[in-house]
Amino acid sequence: MSPSLEEPSRPKAVVELKGVEKRFAAFTALRRMDLTIREGEFFTLLGPSGCGKTTTLRLIAGFDLPSEGQILIAGQDVSNIPAHLRPVHTVFQNYALFPHMTVLDNVAFPLTVRRIGRAERLERARAALDLVQMGSFAARKPSQLSGGQQQRVALARALVNEPRVLLLDEPLGALDLKLRKEMQAELKAMQRRLGITFVFVTHDQEEALSMSDRIALMKSGEIVQLDTPTGLYDRPANAYVADFIGETNMIPARVISQEGDVTLVEAMGTRLRVSGNHGHVAGAEVQMAIRPERVSDDMRETENSAEGVLADVEFIGTDLRMVYRMTDGSRVVMRQQNSGRAVPQLGETRRLGFRQQDLRLFGR
Amino acid sequence: MTPHSGRQGWFVRRVVHGISGWVTLLTYLFMLLPIVVLIAFAFNAGKSTVVWTGFSFKWFEKVVSNRNILDALQVSLIVALASAAVSTAIGSVAAVAITRRSFPGRDVLGAALAAPLVLPEIVLGVALLVFMSFAGMILGYTTLIIGHVLVSIPFATLIVRAAASSLDPRLENAAADLGANEWQTFRMVTLPQLMPAIFTAFILSATLSFDNLVMSTFTSGVGTTTLPLRIYSMLKLGITPEINALGALMVLANVTILLLVMGRYLPLMLKTNRR
Ligand SMILES: Nc1ncnc2c1ncn2[C@@H]1O[C@H](COP(=O)(O)OP(=O)(O)OP(=O)(O)O)[C@@H](O)[C@H]1O
Ligand SMILES: [Mg+2]
Repeated sequence: MSPSLEEPSRPKAVVELKGVEKRFAAFTALRRMDLTIREGEFFTLLGPSGCGKTTTLRLIAGFDLPSEGQILIAGQDVSNIPAHLRPVHTVFQNYALFPHMTVLDNVAFPLTVRRIGRAERLERARAALDLVQMGSFAARKPSQLSGGQQQRVALARALVNEPRVLLLDEPLGALDLKLRKEMQAELKAMQRRLGITFVFVTHDQEEALSMSDRIALMKSGEIVQLDTPTGLYDRPANAYVADFIGETNMIPARVISQEGDVTLVEAMGTRLRVSGNHGHVAGAEVQMAIRPERVSDDMRETENSAEGVLADVEFIGTDLRMVYRMTDGSRVVMRQQNSGRAVPQLGETRRLGFRQQDLRLFGR
Repeated sequence: MTPHSGRQGWFVRRVVHGISGWVTLLTYLFMLLPIVVLIAFAFNAGKSTVVWTGFSFKWFEKVVSNRNILDALQVSLIVALASAAVSTAIGSVAAVAITRRSFPGRDVLGAALAAPLVLPEIVLGVALLVFMSFAGMILGYTTLIIGHVLVSIPFATLIVRAAASSLDPRLENAAADLGANEWQTFRMVTLPQLMPAIFTAFILSATLSFDNLVMSTFTSGVGTTTLPLRIYSMLKLGITPEINALGALMVLANVTILLLVMGRYLPLMLKTNRR
């Protein structure tokens, strides 16, 4: 067969959840979850505490069985495959290193239990340790390592056997901010280099945005939106997503009319045009969302503007974060690059611009 | 603020501290003085255990050349090691099963293993004796060991249970996740972490057996007189410093074992529990 006749190669599904539900007694932790994770992608489960992220990972790893539905790994139904035979490894939030073993023995563990010969075992364990730059700590016990170092060892241990899928449950949660940023970059680079599918859990939206190929945003046992980072940020499906991802101004508004591809609303004591037909009837009370960095005081390319009084200024190094109180009492946050211009005075009245394509409407 | 803050509180605290210090001291004196006296008179030259007549090692020489005592020591050591091994093995397996698995009758098993703790030993002894003669068993090593296992198994189980329940279950999850089957997980992850507790259980079981008198009176037979039984029968013939010397040696042995356990395993246990 000539290559031109073949289907364009689509990334294969490596983990699939089909109608998966998980109940603990009367409590439903996961609700009819459908999810496809593709080969080689950096996939993130994002959501607030208690939304079911760990539960999802535990089902994929095989520590728990779904109450309903089916899980497929590499196309195979794993319902009857116990945890130790699944081609996935986990990096636990608390690292779960074996305290009685040295770092090297910890990393060699997945090979030891597969009865791989001593020489090969040690060689591969050393290589995995070198990969996470922990080669010189091989002889130590886990209790003699810092949190960040333990984290690296846990990563090496999970990678040494080259799993199809690596599950990571808030692996950076215990690290301080600087180390966290470093590890984020390293993890991402490592994932690209090794080509292993990562299923990453975090409740930190910034972390999710900066690392992931795709993100599933969860809320009390359900996926609210599954999208790329830019998709989630620029096209949130509802107010919950807009609010969870990044900072958003939520301004109460009322729909006046629908004119073709533009919705006319009343908000902040004035009338504004909003791109898109949002399907709201005239008179509907809605929420109007706009990102702080899309609010501007440059009126050249804006259709809409409203007046506000500067109520607060926060200096964040690269940025200035200004809070305006609008004439109807609503608050609008504007974020501007710190360009060295004079900081406006508190109490000053300014006119703020809102481009119609940056505004989004959500039902209340 | 505590009720005892301020100047007055300071005074009350001083008094309480002072008193508790004295109480502690007196308690130790009360407990240790008899042993100190016993050991001192083991070196008495005379035949009395109350009147000091001079220093001598002769009673120690008598002890180590007394055939009866040496035989009894041998019996006690064999029974102590054997019963401790059985107790620790059963206790450890049961402890891991109780804390790590759920199976029908789990609570019953836990209660049954702890029961000998609250039953008077003499009742246990009588019951065991009746049962054994009913079953036609001849009193000897086997019956002694069974009796001692009964006495020490609650302690062995409790010690290992405490350690097993403080183990992090996530470590076993991690082992399974990395490809270890149940047996490999037990052997490579669970067991090594329980080792200090298992060792402690063994030492404690052996010590309990070595010191046991009540159970031994019911379960020992001809030719299997244990050391405590031998000492007890020696007492009936009149007390000489030979008994003091024997007692001193037993104290020495017990203290040595205790220090061994504390020195080698206590730091280890503290370390694993901290994680
Ligand atoms: N074994 C269990 N028994 C009962 N309820 C459970 C059990 N495990 C989890 N849950 C519940 O399921 C829900 C989801 O838990 P899960 O651990 O998946 O949350 P999470 O998203 O990982 O949260 P976090 O960010 O705090 O780790 C929680 O409300 C939790 O209380
Ligand atoms: Mg969690």
